[in-house]
Amino acid sequence: MELQSSGGPSAAGRQGEAASVLRTEGLTIRFGGLTALNNVNFEIGRGEIRAIIGPNGAGKSTFFNCLTGVLRPTSGRILFNGEDITGLPPNEISKKGIARSYQITNILPNATTLENVRIAAQSRRHGWSLFRHYTAFGDIMAKAEAVLNSVGLSPKADELACNLSHGEQRNLEIGIALATEPQLLCLDEPTAGMSTAETHDTMELIRGIAKDLTILIVEHDMKVVMELAHRITVLHYGEILAEGTPEEIQSNPRVLEVYLKT
Amino acid sequence: MTDKRHSILFWSGFAIVMALLFVSPYVLPPFWQRFLTEVLIWGLLAMSSDLLIGYTGMVSFGHSAFFGLGMYGAAAALLMFTPSLVLALAFGLIGAAVVSAFVAYFSTRLRDIYFAITTLIFSQIFYVIIFTWTDVTGGENGLNFPRPRLGIPGIWSEPFTATTLHWFVLVVVAGSYLILRRITQSPFGMVLQSIRENEPRTRAIGYPVERYKIMAVMLSGLFAGLAGVLYALQNRFAAPDFVFFLISGEAVIFNVMGGIGTLVGPILGAGTFLLLRELLGRIFGENFPYLIPLGFIFIAIIIFMPQGLLGFARRWLNR
Repeated sequence: MELQSSGGPSAAGRQGEAASVLRTEGLTIRFGGLTALNNVNFEIGRGEIRAIIGPNGAGKSTFFNCLTGVLRPTSGRILFNGEDITGLPPNEISKKGIARSYQITNILPNATTLENVRIAAQSRRHGWSLFRHYTAFGDIMAKAEAVLNSVGLSPKADELACNLSHGEQRNLEIGIALATEPQLLCLDEPTAGMSTAETHDTMELIRGIAKDLTILIVEHDMKVVMELAHRITVLHYGEILAEGTPEEIQSNPRVLEVYLKT
Repeated sequence: MTDKRHSILFWSGFAIVMALLFVSPYVLPPFWQRFLTEVLIWGLLAMSSDLLIGYTGMVSFGHSAFFGLGMYGAAAALLMFTPSLVLALAFGLIGAAVVSAFVAYFSTRLRDIYFAITTLIFSQIFYVIIFTWTDVTGGENGLNFPRPRLGIPGIWSEPFTATTLHWFVLVVVAGSYLILRRITQSPFGMVLQSIRENEPRTRAIGYPVERYKIMAVMLSGLFAGLAGVLYALQNRFAAPDFVFFLISGEAVIFNVMGGIGTLVGPILGAGTFLLLRELLGRIFGENFPYLIPLGFIFIAIIIFMPQGLLGFARRWLNR
């Protein structure tokens, strides 16, 4: 962790960027008098599964919203693969390779499961094609079917998304994000509201996809966090309270005091 | 398998309707033939706005501007040069394209009711310009112009008759329908529907939503302009009334009556609306306030067939 601060914010730090996919420097966001994020210096390495935990209102979702361009930070920078992406709109950030799933299920309810994933896959190419039937693009169809398969929703391909069970919709969320071929996947409480069995399946799913990409996960279920994450960042009142391996975090007295004790 | 059956069903239905519309000039008396041609033209206008209302989830009250500019564009071509069908189409479409690009650029920054109001205001601006710029547009009196000859430049041409005009309109409307249908099934069309379903999500998966909306408004405006050109060809005049927002309102009513998001529905809605108006006028006389019973019928349709006539028919057929 000491390396992170000595790396310095200058653009010259090229060699350090090979390892880190995403870095924030002094990320701060204020809503009127409320400071939702305060000087957050965060870094995540390639291939890592990082969990962000913290009490409600700690700034976890705000942090995601900053990373994905929904909110513009008041100050600070966000670097993705060494490139400054601060203030880019969500569609540009998606193009750079950051995808997210949402805490509250956010899908196309009246489209089929396949279409939900297909439209996401199509965002990389052919979006401006006007005069050919959408099913004529074999590359997109194949990609969509592969993604559905990887999130275990192939049998439900032709079902309307609104008719899926809650757990299935949560996995479809991940599928939509995956179909955009991200390098960094931000999952906002992927197992929220799931049964134990569904949670287990989703954890396996996340572990499977983590082989090819970097995952940032906000989660309240401590079992999920402790089992999945390589490292954990604890946010508290918009500031990083602690950072470390699951073991370190579980034995950190300050974390215990503000969060884990309950 | 079902896809194939579906497409056979579609094309045979399309062929039957086309055949009926093709032979109609031989069967119908002149008044009703002209009426049918007009229904097709209003149907095209309604269909063009369905691309926005039904597929992109944006209700435009500015289609009268696109329709009107198509009409005045054609008028300009027919008055300035030797009347030519190709020039009338070209000028009308260019007029509609320029106006829709302008309207699209500004109005797509806004959503929902704000978009609707912005398009309405833009169409009223064009109305006022056309109404007051008497030297060029003829102001309140509008413009009268000759009808061009039907033909392919340099190869063949003959004067329009009521029958050949009907066929010409039929070919243009049917062609527009097939193009619009294909657009709604293209990757681009799927993006529009995704915007309708969930705009923030569509942006989050990487689509520059504004640019897609601008393109949708421009395409829609282009087909509305085409309807304006056809109307000018049929009636040989252009008047500011057709740029007034009431025309936009009618296009929306046609959509709601016929069934939004179906393309065919709006044509059906236009036909039903105009037929009811005509019949009410015939039964109760010219001065009868036909909008009152029409209003009740409209409300009944919204309450009992919220998906419009076509949506209702479809559901009934599927039973």
